[in-house]
Amino acid sequence: MREEVKRLDAEYGFNLSEEEIELIAEQAEAANRLFQPLYEVDLTGVMPIMKVDKKVKK
Amino acid sequence: MKERDLEGLTISVVSARIRSGEISPVELTTLYLGKIKRLNPILNAYITLTENQALADARTAEIEIKSGKHRGPLHGIPFSIKDNLATRGVRTTAGSKILSEWKPDFDATVVARLKKAGAVILGKTNMHEFASGGTTINPYYGTTCNPWDMKRIPGGSSGGSAAAVAASMCMASIGTDNAGSVRNPASLCGTVGLKATYGRVSRFGGVHGTGGFSTDHFGVFTKTVEDCALVLEAIAGYDPKDPLSSEEPVLNYSKSIGNEVKGLRVGLVKGYFDSLMVGEVKSVFGEAVKKLESLGMLVEEVSIPHMDLIPAVQTATSRVENVSTQDHYLKTRPRDYSPTLLYRHICALMIPAATYVTAQRVRRIICQEFDDTLQRVHVIAAPSVAFSAPTIEECNRGFFENAGRRINFQDVRGNLGTLCTLPFNVTGHPALSVCCGFSSSGLPIGMQIIAGSFQESMVFQVAHAYERVAGWYVRKPDLPENGTRA
Repeated sequence: MREEVKRLDAEYGFNLSEEEIELIAEQAEAANRLFQPLYEVDLTGVMPIMKVDKKVKK
Repeated sequence: MKERDLEGLTISVVSARIRSGEISPVELTTLYLGKIKRLNPILNAYITLTENQALADARTAEIEIKSGKHRGPLHGIPFSIKDNLATRGVRTTAGSKILSEWKPDFDATVVARLKKAGAVILGKTNMHEFASGGTTINPYYGTTCNPWDMKRIPGGSSGGSAAAVAASMCMASIGTDNAGSVRNPASLCGTVGLKATYGRVSRFGGVHGTGGFSTDHFGVFTKTVEDCALVLEAIAGYDPKDPLSSEEPVLNYSKSIGNEVKGLRVGLVKGYFDSLMVGEVKSVFGEAVKKLESLGMLVEEVSIPHMDLIPAVQTATSRVENVSTQDHYLKTRPRDYSPTLLYRHICALMIPAATYVTAQRVRRIICQEFDDTLQRVHVIAAPSVAFSAPTIEECNRGFFENAGRRINFQDVRGNLGTLCTLPFNVTGHPALSVCCGFSSSGLPIGMQIIAGSFQESMVFQVAHAYERVAGWYVRKPDLPENGTRA
């Protein structure tokens, strides 16, 4: 994650300190842990929701 | 009329008196502006006051009504608008440094519709920076205080709107809700707060970067459920400027107000909410459910098998959609975001595309589970926020203590204050927060009523029936007379 943060830092010009890079990498790792269970759901045959403009069920 | 009379006023009552000529819109607007000037130095609910325009609009309303041209229930009614909704010629900051000087040359559709309905806009309300948090502790425009206790936050991100309604510094306000940003502050300030069905209210004119394209909703703050129905009628409906707005017809929502609820089924979702609520909220919410039963409603437990995955779906969805609009500012002015928000955006840039798409696939399953459940029960009842308003100090240190336990506001699932509300940003169902009681220290606690898509009438029917039998809406915060802190 640290490398990815450094890549974005170079690309965007954030001028992040080492401390900030470490903190952001930790936050990104926590987010990844949050997302992990999504990959454990059986999604066979499940299409993504690409729009949420619901219609009333008649 | 005197300033102290404003506390008890509701749109439904005032509207008839304005129409009959008993109340003058100019007099009403003048009283509200006076109250704002007196209280805003301590509450900090407004960022910008539009005094001259408000008085001019009130004068126009008065002339029109006197000449027999009454536009409807919002004619001459004083509103406030969250500061991430575009207002033509009026500074629209989104609570940010980046947009501190932005004056749009157009109105958001909700603002245009309010103006068309004859509403008087008093000003723009304070909010969490870019609507990215739930405290309204804002590094650029100051902290909004909770009218029930000035040491506490009003919630957020639409904290200024909720505080303004609760403190009678306007009759109603429009906010935005990406994870609970209307319902959370409504709960903490004891007002009604509605997020209608996704697509019910146009989002044209919302500031980019203040919510995800598919999770953000515009919403309404009022003192009563009936007032909320009146406002929704005026702002709802298809808008060609927002391709994601719905063509479903707008109903006469206030018509359902007062209909009996006996025999209607209310579902309680097993597990998820119970694990979030602190003891006092659990107890107050439990009493509110008993009150629904006393109205003849049939309470049953319902199961949403993938409920625990909702925070992950919400985070993966809204953060990716949100950051996609921020590339320009991230490249040109990254240090004009607060550090917290900049770090969040950088993390969002690192979420893989595959995670976003997987989240949308899980989201379909979750939406189906809720749709199936809402075929079996008429509404779902849930707490709005797991705790009552914390102090500003507790928010700054990042945790509070409850029953000897340290509870962090942020955990891996995100902001604890939004975990009860964000499920319905993922599903898009209409959800309204109504005050359901008070903590032992006198702080309001909210309950959500959720119904099937486009069934706002059912939400209003149940929430109004509860509101009238519970009677919490008559309780008002004890605000200082002289505008100085107690």
